[in-house]
Amino acid sequence: MSTVMIRRPTTPPVAEVAAPTFRLDRPLTDLRAGIRTDAAWRSWRLLASDWEQRLRADGVASVTTVETHGQVGDTGAADRSHIGALAEAVDFAIVGLGTCGSCTSFAIADAVAIEQRERPVVAVVTDEFATHGRNMAKHLGHGDLSVLVLPYPLEARPDAELLEISAEYYPQALALLGVSRSAEVGA
Amino acid sequence: MTLTGAQVEVPADPRALYELSLIEQWGDGAPVLPPTDAAIEALLAYTPDPPDHVVGVLPPQYGVATVELVAANAAMAGVQPGAFPIVLAALEAILVPEWNAFGLTTTTSSVFPMLIMNGPSRDDLGIDYRAGCMGGAAGRGSMTIGRAVSLCLRNIGGQRAGETSRTVFGQPARFGMCFGEWEERSPWPSLAQRRGLPTDLDVVTVHGGKGTFPLADIHNDDPRGLLFLLAKSMAYPLANMYLGNADNGEVVLAVNPMWAERFGAAFPEMTDLQAFLHEHAWQPLDLWPAANRDILVSKGRVGSRNRVFLTAHPDQIVPVVCGGLGSLHAVALPSFGESAMQSVAARTLTSGAR
Repeated sequence: MSTVMIRRPTTPPVAEVAAPTFRLDRPLTDLRAGIRTDAAWRSWRLLASDWEQRLRADGVASVTTVETHGQVGDTGAADRSHIGALAEAVDFAIVGLGTCGSCTSFAIADAVAIEQRERPVVAVVTDEFATHGRNMAKHLGHGDLSVLVLPYPLEARPDAELLEISAEYYPQALALLGVSRSAEVGA
Repeated sequence: MTLTGAQVEVPADPRALYELSLIEQWGDGAPVLPPTDAAIEALLAYTPDPPDHVVGVLPPQYGVATVELVAANAAMAGVQPGAFPIVLAALEAILVPEWNAFGLTTTTSSVFPMLIMNGPSRDDLGIDYRAGCMGGAAGRGSMTIGRAVSLCLRNIGGQRAGETSRTVFGQPARFGMCFGEWEERSPWPSLAQRRGLPTDLDVVTVHGGKGTFPLADIHNDDPRGLLFLLAKSMAYPLANMYLGNADNGEVVLAVNPMWAERFGAAFPEMTDLQAFLHEHAWQPLDLWPAANRDILVSKGRVGSRNRVFLTAHPDQIVPVVCGGLGSLHAVALPSFGESAMQSVAARTLTSGAR
């Protein structure tokens, strides 16, 4: 069989980079919490609102929320600026929601931006987009980013069902952030 | 000229090479040509950039796109050497942050870079801008330039449906889409001119388009009446532009030359045409069910008299003259929304020799 030499048209695999991640390793008391919501997703706004109340009940000093509205243009630039300000103003953050392709990409990018400021952060995605979210984190050099996976789809579920999911997954979000109970800290 | 890409020994038989490309996932499912050194060097001869020059880092997997690697993909697509600078210009446009390749390569949407070319080389390079320009005319430039960009997104950027790309349906343009503007039949300045670029350069404009949305009419001879219907049709209630911000994204309206002549007589200035289209590209809030209405209200999308405009500004509606002389048709290229159209002039070594 005759052959010919060609140049491989693909890029070589990029070496995996895992930037440092950060954990709270302490109770929530007196910490400043941040939550990133997305105007696109009614379900996440409801869960985030519920989690805000739960965080306050668990003793955080404050909860700052940033709702994102865009990816490019003035709105996108404002969103990224607000995320940067959020990262500076809080001790940890919860970032959602990845439940479409581009919104997962931007949720992960915003979580990475917060982690780059050495804040504990958890990115929240739905099951359908979990692999995509982890891939994006890896490609952004934060392969160890904490990712909380919620059921899919969230949209079209009644509020009561969403609040059940909220209650079920809130402790998992805290666990990924490294929140410890007072007794455990004192032990 | 020194090439540094990894060399692979492959069968010279075209069918065997095709089979191998499928196994190695080098392609798009259609046969590819072998990216030999001779083929790559022929392409490189038309760009002033050296082979190791980095065009950019392509999402979603952030592969480094060197000129040589882009040339390897262009060679596989069958790009004519003189058209290679158009491929590079298209990639440069895609990599402008406001085009939002980061979002568009990963979205569930069907959106893909649609290339619109202006400039003196349209005929020489086989860029289709007359009958069948969006598919079927079979010009070499139109069929290979768009495909080369698509291959770069796959092979360098790592975009693959169902994996890194979450596109639900995709669209035919994901094989590559490139068409020209019929500048000579346009009553207005070309798209490239309107975007501030000179007429003596080959310019590629990249639009994040969701698909080709066909529009037709045979009953209305009044330009304003017809434009009213075009505007209303573009403002369909499930357009992406109604999902988010009105400020971001453009809708391209491809107009056949016969209609363009009629519209040009009524609106000699492009800005007046765009203002008229914008004025009518809205739907009444009551058109949407309650759940959608609530969102549109909360996003501040509802204007006076409960009108929900497709775009915030007239210049977000972008007419382009192209297509055959059948005076019945137009095509809208709806926007992803969160993407700003970009135009880049090709930098060509006219001698074709370094």
